[in-house]
Amino acid sequence: MSNRARVAIWFAWLVVIAAIGWGVALHLRISSDLRDFVPPARTADQKLLLDEIGKGPGSRLLLLAISGAPRAQLADLSRGLDDALAHDPAFARVANGANDLADVASDLLPYRYLLSPTLDTQRFDAAYLREQLQQRIEDLSSPAASMLEPWLRRDPTLETLKLAQHWTPPHQPELIDGVWFSDRGEALLVAETRAAGFDPGAQAAAIASLQKHFAALPGAAKARLVISGPGWFGVQASRHTRAEADRFGAITTIGFVLMLLLAYRSAVPIVVTALPLLSGAVAGFALLALIFGHAHGITVAFGFTLLGVAQEYPLRVFSHRRIGVETSRCVRELWPLLATAIVSVCIAYLAFFASGVAGLQQLAVFTIGGLVVAGACTRWLLPWVVPPARRDMAATPGLARAWHFLAQLPRPHWLPWLVAAAGVVVVVFAPGKVWQNDLSALTPIPQAELQRDARLRAELGAPDVRYLLVLRAPTAEGVLALSERMAPRMDHLVAQHALDGFELPSRFLPSIATQRARQAKLPDAADLQSALQQAMQGLPFRAGVFAPFIADVEAARKLPPLTPGAFERSPLGARLESMLVRQGDGWAGLGTLSGVNDPTAFDALAGGTNGAVHLLDLKASTESLIIAYRHRILVALGIAALLLCIAVTLALRSPRRASHVLGPMTLATLLVLVVLRACGIPLSLFHLVSLTLAAGLGLHYALFFERRTGDEREDLRTLHATLVCVASALLVFGVLALSSVPVLRAIGLTVALGVAFHFTLSVLMAPAGHLRREP
Amino acid sequence: MRAFREALAALALTTTATSAFAVPGLAESLLAGMAKTPPVSTPFVLVSYRGVLDRPLVVSGNLRWLGGDRMERDIDKPFKETATIAEGTITVRRGRGAVQQMPLARAPQAGAMLAGFRALLGGDVPALQKDFALSAQGSTAHWVITLTPHAGAIKRQLTSLVIDGRDHEPRCLTMTDANGDSSITLVGAMAEQGLRSSAPLESALAARCRNNP
Repeated sequence: MSNRARVAIWFAWLVVIAAIGWGVALHLRISSDLRDFVPPARTADQKLLLDEIGKGPGSRLLLLAISGAPRAQLADLSRGLDDALAHDPAFARVANGANDLADVASDLLPYRYLLSPTLDTQRFDAAYLREQLQQRIEDLSSPAASMLEPWLRRDPTLETLKLAQHWTPPHQPELIDGVWFSDRGEALLVAETRAAGFDPGAQAAAIASLQKHFAALPGAAKARLVISGPGWFGVQASRHTRAEADRFGAITTIGFVLMLLLAYRSAVPIVVTALPLLSGAVAGFALLALIFGHAHGITVAFGFTLLGVAQEYPLRVFSHRRIGVETSRCVRELWPLLATAIVSVCIAYLAFFASGVAGLQQLAVFTIGGLVVAGACTRWLLPWVVPPARRDMAATPGLARAWHFLAQLPRPHWLPWLVAAAGVVVVVFAPGKVWQNDLSALTPIPQAELQRDARLRAELGAPDVRYLLVLRAPTAEGVLALSERMAPRMDHLVAQHALDGFELPSRFLPSIATQRARQAKLPDAADLQSALQQAMQGLPFRAGVFAPFIADVEAARKLPPLTPGAFERSPLGARLESMLVRQGDGWAGLGTLSGVNDPTAFDALAGGTNGAVHLLDLKASTESLIIAYRHRILVALGIAALLLCIAVTLALRSPRRASHVLGPMTLATLLVLVVLRACGIPLSLFHLVSLTLAAGLGLHYALFFERRTGDEREDLRTLHATLVCVASALLVFGVLALSSVPVLRAIGLTVALGVAFHFTLSVLMAPAGHLRREP
Repeated sequence: MRAFREALAALALTTTATSAFAVPGLAESLLAGMAKTPPVSTPFVLVSYRGVLDRPLVVSGNLRWLGGDRMERDIDKPFKETATIAEGTITVRRGRGAVQQMPLARAPQAGAMLAGFRALLGGDVPALQKDFALSAQGSTAHWVITLTPHAGAIKRQLTSLVIDGRDHEPRCLTMTDANGDSSITLVGAMAEQGLRSSAPLESALAARCRNNP
């Protein structure tokens, strides 16, 4: 075949990969929904967590601080940003202290007597009205008289204002120039995104939009905008991880290219070697798109890691080519062994498919599909684009000497057993925690940012993102009634300093029973008229000036009570919507808490209500989900290991030969665990997946070293291939191990250690006599 | 308050443009003569004429301009109240201890009052100019300065603030709200003289401000 034809096929292959990749990119949705990733929730709190995480109150809040300019300018910037965000569809709400809640409350004006707690303790009798009217007289001389006057005729008791104050969090930052300022002189704002807090894509878009609004404000160039909150942290973490992965990716790509040039003295492997892996990845994505339509981001990251095994297939082919022999023949000779490896690994991954966890099933589909396609491409496509060899890798200078050296190493039979026993002791008895349950520990937020977040949160009185108060009842009305009963007990907890503040759903919408009770206390028009007349005696109010008030009270007496559905359509509706959610057959109320100092103080609350009211620790609930997920992974891995043993034994048709392959793999995996445990590194899901990748690579080393060819040059080519594979894996993952991002470091360190151990042990534990042949 | 910082500079320019009777140059000489070092304190009598009331409200006490955008107003009669304007925020404290806070931006009348005092006592014209047009009439011995809001939120609530004065002393500040309500604040010598009636007619009080020697 001509070189021209090879280039044509190579190009066509590339085009097909690009086309399928493009199609998949259009159709596959990469989700960040935890429900795709973790096993089905078992407890009600886990369900609530999965339903509400990121959507709940608090987690969608971004805390903003503007600094670095004179106060007046900061206040202008605050107002400008407030205005821009109020018109941005990505944001549900923005507050900077200047917003007049009375304006918002005016939408619920007819309901004010049903919503305000005034009537719980007062009656609209002559005495109360007179006291109120006297206060209004004083108000009319105050500097703020112009604010009150428009309300006066309709609302002489200023119920609208009381309602607005009732809905304002008790703790607010200082108002300077009409907007919130921190103690350090930063202008403060709170913005609530419509997107869930843990949807990094939507959060990134919202934050980019926010930053664009800010940059467009006059004078913004000199000022500094600081953003904080769960959404910001998520975006920062993924941005940081991606940036570092890209940086390391560039370094390793250059290293990899140089290494290929050095190993093969040819440019062909450079342009061809990535094609089977790319084909596999694209095929994996296409399968995910066809079967699931979407995949979790973490699943994709795990899948890509596991697919790394396929990088070895073309490298083996390049090392085993011989002068004057068609590439296709060399591939055919290698194929039984490669196929054994591929099939064994695929059978093992079937265990993931049976796990019943969507994330793991996606992982299995992606990995099995990817490996099969990468293998098939190597077997049937690669020979068409690789020209015949001009060099035999067996003749590589130094290779024979390396073989000799490895062959001379002592191989005491008892050593593996001793190492294994010592390893088990270390793994079992090493101090430090075994598992890392905190997913956020893998993408940590810098300490300085955490401290700043805590400071801004305290200054703004913004809710805690870790704790929620859960109130359960069969109906929404039941939740609201429960919430009303809990309010005094929560006040008590605040007085005891167990927490700094709270917001319950009933603060915004009282139960229907309470609304009716207040309604019943409203006097009829005649009674109110006479009470007013009595109250106005001697006061300078014009006769008849409060006719709109009498009409409003009369209307309020006949109103149907406000339901959650009706309230949620008002401008304040979003606040209630996130606090009152349907869950299965019942309803759950979510109270936000700020400054939780003593979580145990809530135990009594839970005890007194038979658990209908309790503190939900989002961190603990997430960790319980992670533990459940890890349990499934471990079970799946256990079954996978068993399946692998069976598959390898069947393929080699000999338990003894299988033991030569499986022995080094097991011991190497154990040794990686020994190193991690000895270094006090708690194991995360990423470590487990990396161990699996390393084992997949180790299977190749062991299988090829175990192979009996009877041909010295072929053995040298095997060594060449293995050395290239080991070096490339060490390069890629060793560099990753230097990363400052824990998740990348976990993958890098585990795989690099694994590759080193697997290689060493597959050499040292290869069947006696195999390597002993003199070169 | 930056809103008021640029006002006096335009005073000379706007005097001719905004009033047929305006006297060019009068405002500068008036304001140059009146500038004082804060704190400046004066008794006051505030008479409010409100649409919801059938007779005027009268309160009296002390006004203090502390310099810049800080001002205090203590009401002694008929009830006790302390109102502070500082850093763009109004804080009102009544005898019973309840404290109310609100942005100055939402109470343009209070803002206009502060702006007037700043201009009169501090000579800070630029601060005034962003939000108000100024005009002066009369002579240095007997003058009237009128502040008219340019536009926007302030104009929706406030029609004008007219300040009457003699020589170097302001005497009356007459505020007319957009809804027709009005108030007259007597300061300095006028406040010391007090009211001649417990419910003075608006026209009578206005005439006294304008004509009383």
